[in-house]
This record gives sequence, structure tokens and C-alpha cells, in this order.
Amino acid sequence: MSTKVWIGLLFLFCVVLGVGRSDLSCAGPSGRHKLQINFWNGFTGPDGQIMLGIIRKFNEANPDVEVTMQRMDWDTYYNKLMVAELDGRGPEVFVIQSQWMARMNRAGFVADVSDLFTGSNPIPKDDFDPVVISQVQYGQKMVGVPLDIWPFGLYMNADYMKEIGFTDANGNARAPKDKAEFLKAITELKKTAPDGSADRWGFALDNWRWDFQSLLPQFNGRYFDEKGRADLANPNNVAALQFLVSLNGPPRLMPPPENAMGWVGFRQKKVAMVVDGIFMVGDLKRLNDFNYVGAPVPVIGSRPGTLADSHCLCVRHDLSPEMHKAAERFIKFLSNNSIDWADAGQVPARKSVRADPRFAQMPVQYAFSKEIPYIQYLPRTPVLFDINRELDFAVESAIRGRMSSQDALKQASDHVQEELDRDALEQKEEGLAK
Amino acid sequence: MTYTQSRRWGGLLFLLPYALSFLVFVVVPVVVALGLAFMQFDLTNRGAIHFIGLGNFKEALGDTYFWQALKATFTYVILMVPGVVVAGLAMALGMNAMARGRNAVRALFFLPGLFNVAVTGLLWRWFFEDDFGLFNYLLKKMGLHTVPWLSSSAYAMPSIVLMSLWWVLGGTAIVLLAAVQQIPRPLFEAAMLDGAGGRALLSKMTLPLLRPVLLFVVVMNTIGAFQVFGQPFILTRGGPERVTRGLVQYIYEMAFNNYRLGYGAAMSWLLFLVVAVFALVQYRFLRRSVS
Repeated sequence: MSTKVWIGLLFLFCVVLGVGRSDLSCAGPSGRHKLQINFWNGFTGPDGQIMLGIIRKFNEANPDVEVTMQRMDWDTYYNKLMVAELDGRGPEVFVIQSQWMARMNRAGFVADVSDLFTGSNPIPKDDFDPVVISQVQYGQKMVGVPLDIWPFGLYMNADYMKEIGFTDANGNARAPKDKAEFLKAITELKKTAPDGSADRWGFALDNWRWDFQSLLPQFNGRYFDEKGRADLANPNNVAALQFLVSLNGPPRLMPPPENAMGWVGFRQKKVAMVVDGIFMVGDLKRLNDFNYVGAPVPVIGSRPGTLADSHCLCVRHDLSPEMHKAAERFIKFLSNNSIDWADAGQVPARKSVRADPRFAQMPVQYAFSKEIPYIQYLPRTPVLFDINRELDFAVESAIRGRMSSQDALKQASDHVQEELDRDALEQKEEGLAK
Repeated sequence: MTYTQSRRWGGLLFLLPYALSFLVFVVVPVVVALGLAFMQFDLTNRGAIHFIGLGNFKEALGDTYFWQALKATFTYVILMVPGVVVAGLAMALGMNAMARGRNAVRALFFLPGLFNVAVTGLLWRWFFEDDFGLFNYLLKKMGLHTVPWLSSSAYAMPSIVLMSLWWVLGGTAIVLLAAVQQIPRPLFEAAMLDGAGGRALLSKMTLPLLRPVLLFVVVMNTIGAFQVFGQPFILTRGGPERVTRGLVQYIYEMAFNNYRLGYGAAMSWLLFLVVAVFALVQYRFLRRSVS
């Protein structure tokens, strides 16, 4: 046979294979075409594998729907999601962290999924803590379903805590409860090498802004005043930041700012305690010889409190009724099975799921879930990008000793107010345009 | 069709694929960016999209972060361009003087340039790591103090320049080596017979004869340095204290993280102006020296 005939046969084979494949993937058992749901998220770590397992279960249980997952780094996730959705090419179901919901909702591509909470076989609203469910409530609209909660808590090296006598009645490592205990612990945990340098630190900052924001609720801190104006430099916020700055010493109780060991130092057993989100527990699970425990953030201020956020499941606004129903069925499945998701290093958003005995077997998740009554979410504002940017710099400037806590937060507050004014002007212009 | 006509059409056909891609991926985005620069264009506030004239440009000129980012970019350019030209020239002269193994050395020097910026950045992040990085390990072994390569505002930008030099130096050195090898050997031999020493050969012969290529190297590296993004983005994310956040990163953050496409486009045009002015000044200055 000539080359041309071979190429022709190969082409024919590919066409047949392609048609067959497309038929296999799109037709359900009844011969109807499957509904294809694209699900986008930023679960690029081991959590993605767990989510994939849940999706497989859904696909098996729902032969008329096929969900495919697309994962991408959170850093680029939102701009891809935004552009894809505004262009009508976005996924049918996607995850939005509650902190970014205000902006994404304003962009207008997030559907109202109120019927998930009210229709037949609803997800009960009262199965969520009020602070959690309020993250997806915009006026009369419910713009998503919180899948989980990720509170920030205290991670400890259990062996080191036992070494300094921080144990409970059963001899297990325990966390410092208040400021006095915390300072005592980090003082005793610090070990000095013969040359005077620190061999081990009791505590290290990880993400400096998150460390600060985890303390804010304890000091009754806030982002805006009653009139909605930026209020980052209020005395409570300054006190929270000043506490972190004070750990620079003397005596120095955390590594110098130039040696930002944070989480890596904790994993390397050079740091005994760090504050971070529950999502980091997946990283610790991979270590074989590391004895760690989790606990609520010690009460440094006047009351317990910590930072938290949630992954919210959302639907695209322009789906056909049939697709919308299928998307909601998928979301309901994820919500109902969020105990599996908890294993990825999350606290389930629903109370009934947290009551599952399996959840109590997840020690760090279970310990961090005790913080839920006093968690504080980031403010619901379209200028969150600017708040984060300003706080990053303010906290860094104060900790590096470039500016006083008061001045650094004042500068941040002024810049955020400028952005609020600019945004308000844009909103006004939008109103006029309408 | 005459022979001349068919040649002309043939030439145009050869140009067509590139011309099309140039039109779609360069001309159209540039024109769109020019339009965006004069508009208030926030993706999350699409109801308020409208023409605002020079509003974005005025905002940029009054924006502290714009100037801060421009300063970081200038710092990078000032450290990087002389570094790459001087070190590249030294490497080229060194390779030119080699009697054996020149090709192997040239290939080795060129190797880092084959990695993309992400791979290079990740590799060097490990080199620079404070506690278990390669450089601090070597310093400790030599009994010296460790250096906070990326976490100190004094060291961060020089560290990024160091990585960039490693990455691009091979390419520059090869261009300069090719130019050095073009200089006729009899010129050197005649000068040496006249008693010229090594320093005189370099300053009176090699450098003047290399000026056209040096002009090319300086201008291209300056343009590249003004556009720095990947290296600081991967190594430091613009920190510490924003000292390594260049203008391209700030534009990226504003346009793609904050969704203010109009403002981002305006700053891009301002950066283009800065680069164009610098390139023009360098070109004029060096061309005069060449002629």
C-alpha cells in the first residue's frame, strides 16, 4: 500500500476513535447526553486529590452528570475565573474564598442559589453558624454554599511543649492559654547555642499579616468605623500589632525579621509554635517523625478570637435551568459529604457534619473547630485587595522597626480610605450611568 | 504574472504568517491597551466603564507605589546592565583567549539561558534559602556569617541581580565573543609589534572595535531590565518592604489582581515612555561614539 493510503486509513481510524470516545463520554445509560459540569478551584495541594475522590463518588452516583475538575494556583485563579466568567466561557461551578466574594459578586457572574436552602430537600440554613452563613448572604440573595471553615490556630511541637512541662492531666502536650503563659512558654522554649545565637525559637511569625489579623479580634480590632471609613489605626489595632513588635525584645522572643523561618522553621523543629491556618495540617501529615498538636490561638488580648475564612461553592449565573439544577445537585453532594473534605485539612462548615464521630478523630481540625464561636472573617469590602496590600506593608514596617505601629497603621488607613473614596466615586458614576 | 511580481508575492507570502501573528498578538493588544489607558475600566465595576481622558495617567503620577516601583526598576537596571555588559565582556575575552575547550565552555555558559524563569527562580530560591540554602551552607562551612539573601531589604535586590546575571550572562557573552572573533588578528599582531600591552590592546583596539555590538548589547539589556518581572515575582514577590517590586509587577497586580485594567494600561504606557527615552538616549550616545 502507498503512503497516501496508510495516512488515509490512519485518519479514518482517528475519526472513528474520536466519535466513539465522544459517544462514550457524553451519553448516559439511557442514551441521553450527559450534562458536563466544569468545576474550578485552587486546590492544587494534596487537598485536590481528596476533592477528586469526592467528585468520582458523585460521578458514580449521578450517571446523568459528569463533573470535571480544573485546579489552578490561587495566585492566578481569580483573574482567570473573572475573565472566563465575564466572557461566558467560565466553569459552571467554582470556588470563591469568602474574602473575595464581595468583589466577585459585584462583577455579576455569581448566581443566586437561594433555592438550595429553601427548595425540596434543602441544605438547612441553621446547620451553619450565623457568622458562616452570613458570608454568602448578599441582601436577599444567597450567592453560594460555604463548604468549610479555615480558622487560624496554634500549631505546636508536642515534644517541646512536654519538655517545658506544658502538659494536661493525661500527660499530653497542651497549649498556653493566655498571654502570661504564652510569654512564659516562648521564653522557656528558646534555646541558645554556645555562640549566643538561638538554636531553637519558642515562636516565629509565619505570614506576618495573618499573624496580626489572627490577633485583631482578641483586641476588639476592626477595619472600618461605624460610618464605614477606614479605621486601621484605632488603638485596639495598634495594641495588637504592638504585641507582635514587642516580641522583638528585649529580650528577643522570636527570630529577627531578616530570618523569616516561620512555617519552614516549625517543620524543621527549629521553632516550637506558629500560628497558621488549618489548611497547613496537610503539610504536616506528610512528615513521618514529627509529633505536633493544634490548639486555639492563646488569648493574648482581652477575649478569645482568631481569623477565619471559608471556601464557598458558587454557580455561574447564566446556566440553563437543567444545568443549574445539576450544578446545585453537585454542590449539595459536596456539602453533604464534607466530612471527606475535612480530611484534606479543613473544618466542615455544617454543624451536623462536625458532629460526625469521624471528625473528632481529626485532632487538629477538631481542636481548631473550637474557635468557631469567636472567629472573625475578613471585612466584606470591594477594597480588600488594598487593605491586604496596606496591612502587609504596615505590619512589615512595624516589625522591622522602620515605623512605629501607630504610624504604620495610620499610613495604611489613609491609603485604604483613598481607595474607598475612589471606589465610591466609581459607584456613583455607575449609578449616574444607569 | 511576471518574474518580479511572482518574487514580490512570494516574499509577501513568506512574511504573512509572522505578519498575521504580529498583528493579532502585538498590534491589536497595543491598540487596545492604548484605548484602555484613557478609560476607567474596572472588571468588577463594569457599569462605570467610561472615558476619563488623562485621569489614569494623572493618578499614576500621584501614586506613591508607582514611583516606588519605578525606583525598584531603576535600581535593578542600574545594577544589572553594567553588570551584564562588564561580566559578559570579560567572559567573552576569556573565552577568546582560550586555546582549547572554548566550544565546551561556551556551551556551558549558555546552558542557564535555556532554563525558563520559573525553573531558574525555584533553583535560586533554594540557593538563597536562609537556613538550609546552598550559599549559607557554604558560608557556614567557611566559618563566615550567613547572609539574609532575600529577607533583608539591603540584600534582596542584589541577590535578584545575581540570579539574573547567572541566567542571561551566557547569551550576552556569546554575542560579544562572536564580535571579538570578528576583529582581524593582524590588527592585534601589528599593535603588539608596535609595543602595545594588554591594557592598551583592550582600551585602544578591542573596545572601540566592539562599540557597535556593545551598543546593541546595552540597549537590549536595558530594555529587558526595565521589563523585569519573573525573577522578583518568584524569589521575593516584591518584598521585603517592596524594595524588589518593579513596575511590571505593580502593573500586573493592578490589572490582574485588582482588575483595574485601565489604570494598568496607563502605567504600561508610562513604562513604555521611560524605556523608549532611555533606549533612544543610549542609542544616540553610543552611536555618536561609534561613528
